[in-house]
Amino acid sequence: MESSTAGKSQSRLPHRSPFINRLYENLTGYLFVFPAMLVIAVFGLFPIGYAVYMSMFNWRVKKGEFVGFTERDQYNQLIGDWGGLAIFLAGIGVLVLAYWMWTKAFRSYRRGELLAKLGAAVLLAVTGVLISTGWGRMMVAGDAKFLSSMIVTLYYAVFTVPIQLGLAMLLAYVLFQNIRGKQLFRMLYFLPYVTPIVSTAVVFRTIFSPRESSLANIFLSWFGIAPQKWLFEPKPVLQLLGLNVEGFWAGPSLALVSIMIFGIWTFVGYNTVIFLAGLGSISKEIYEAAQIDGANAWDLFRSITFPLLSPVTFYLFLVSFIGTFKAFNHIFVMQVPAAQNTVQTATVEIFNIFYKGNNYGYAAAQAVLLFLVILGLTFAQNKLLGDKVFYG
Amino acid sequence: MAKQTTRFLSKDLAKRYASKAVLYLILILGAVVAILPFYWMVSTSFMTLSETINRKWFPAELQFQNYVDAWNQAKFAKYFLNSVIITFTTVVGVLFTSTLAGYAFARIRFAGRDFLFALMLSTMMIPETITLLPNLLMIRGAIIPLPGGSWVNTLQGLAVPFMANAFSVFLLRQFFAQVPNELWDAARIDGCGHLRFLIQVVLPISKAPMMTVLLFSFTSAWNAFMWPLLVTTRENWRPLMVGLWNFVTEAGPETHLLMAGAVITLIPILIVYFFAQKQFTEGIATTGLKG
Repeated sequence: MESSTAGKSQSRLPHRSPFINRLYENLTGYLFVFPAMLVIAVFGLFPIGYAVYMSMFNWRVKKGEFVGFTERDQYNQLIGDWGGLAIFLAGIGVLVLAYWMWTKAFRSYRRGELLAKLGAAVLLAVTGVLISTGWGRMMVAGDAKFLSSMIVTLYYAVFTVPIQLGLAMLLAYVLFQNIRGKQLFRMLYFLPYVTPIVSTAVVFRTIFSPRESSLANIFLSWFGIAPQKWLFEPKPVLQLLGLNVEGFWAGPSLALVSIMIFGIWTFVGYNTVIFLAGLGSISKEIYEAAQIDGANAWDLFRSITFPLLSPVTFYLFLVSFIGTFKAFNHIFVMQVPAAQNTVQTATVEIFNIFYKGNNYGYAAAQAVLLFLVILGLTFAQNKLLGDKVFYG
Repeated sequence: MAKQTTRFLSKDLAKRYASKAVLYLILILGAVVAILPFYWMVSTSFMTLSETINRKWFPAELQFQNYVDAWNQAKFAKYFLNSVIITFTTVVGVLFTSTLAGYAFARIRFAGRDFLFALMLSTMMIPETITLLPNLLMIRGAIIPLPGGSWVNTLQGLAVPFMANAFSVFLLRQFFAQVPNELWDAARIDGCGHLRFLIQVVLPISKAPMMTVLLFSFTSAWNAFMWPLLVTTRENWRPLMVGLWNFVTEAGPETHLLMAGAVITLIPILIVYFFAQKQFTEGIATTGLKG
């Protein structure tokens, strides 16, 4: 498809030898990519290596002594207990095994499926024990602040992504029907995505302010619910609802939930537009055939739209999930001191360590760890969800 | 479906209308949620301070003075101009680098091309948090000496790191690769080199993808926040977003002025978006799917 015809044209330019021509072609190529590659290499690729390098030094504004991977290194401070990390990772491994068992094991035997599901349930319990013990040991010995920021990040990802994608799929599906004003709706939904986060954050900070007259509290008052402190509320939502849960299972604080709503509001439109494009690529004939067979709207959605849309869903899931792990601006502009650590995601924590704490080496080590987590997640999602995708 | 036969036509029609109504209800609800914060922003920006505290839905009288006050108090005149210059420089840079690189990756055969392309694409999944700190040191001139010493508080410090990105190069490459080879052959016979072919033949037929790249680099440069916050310690090159943020942290309870400030920062984006929203949504749809 590319310049495969180069040979043909060469014969028409007799004054240049093929060798000179190739050399010339190569040089032009390098010259053309040079400006872009220079910027990307210096500001996109080099920093990764340099961050790893920085993480090995005691580096406060100026480079200090080399700590490397010794006793006192930054990674030791962060993780604290390597045995704990090993137990934690083993827990993840067992989780993968449980998943495999649930879906694939013992299928050739009679009653094999029941056996496999029982086995998977047992393994799942083992996973829970391993992960919580490993994590507990790390929390005690390592940097609890950083580790709990990873949990906040996890909450943020686990709650925003499915809601965001679910809403977007609903809106896209409805928009795709024979609807008037499709263009207008699409334009309005996409608007939050293009507007600057700092500007919209200004509004959301007042919407979710603890004042009785804030929009969020007005909304609650319609349902007879007492005003809440929203962005200023470090208590978990479940506790506010009167449930007596502690620790990890208490879930995100109301402050974090407010920020999640802001995040969802920003990104639903973007996902809707991509879902719409995906819906447009599903052939109409399949629907017609199914309708002739008497399928209703729900059947159509469940058996045609959803499976045929799965590559798009998978792509968006991956991008959004990683996106939430990288998210910074949304949280940074919405955080208030009153929310304490319940809204500190890993990225915000890293930023604070180097911007306010001026501890560059330590921040670099945290960033490297976050990067590894993102890499691992990407890999895992590719493996686990990749199987489920149906490429029509 | 046995019931179908016994059903009256009118009943069927009523059901159809009902389901249509549900669909519109969902869409309108979605639109209200999408728009409400903007309404809140604009209506508050025209209120008096006491109206913002007592929380009215409409201002009794439009307070245009708020905009003047916000503009002056937050030094928006300077920041606005800064943002315009920074955004313009960045966008020109992105268009320049990504056109050339996109063309080379699509149509020129050079050794190591596919490797370089893959390497470039891999930068798309790297979190900004990890590149931020080394980049800050780089801009300070602490890693390698930069022309002119430190680039903190300079235009180049704000613009150069964003003058190329993998997304734009990728998007243009996908489009340029589809340009028919016959065009290239014909141009070649006329003694045309790559550069002239790119400028005279390829670019005129690539307005749509160029527009997409332009729009996305425009919005991301205009909306940029974290990086400018780090590298503008003084006011001389501080952009609008950082100015607005300082206003947020300093203005305190003067909500009406804050909202007026927020509206001011939105206006350029809104103008561009309303004129080019089709390129926005279609650009994101095609590239989003291919990515």
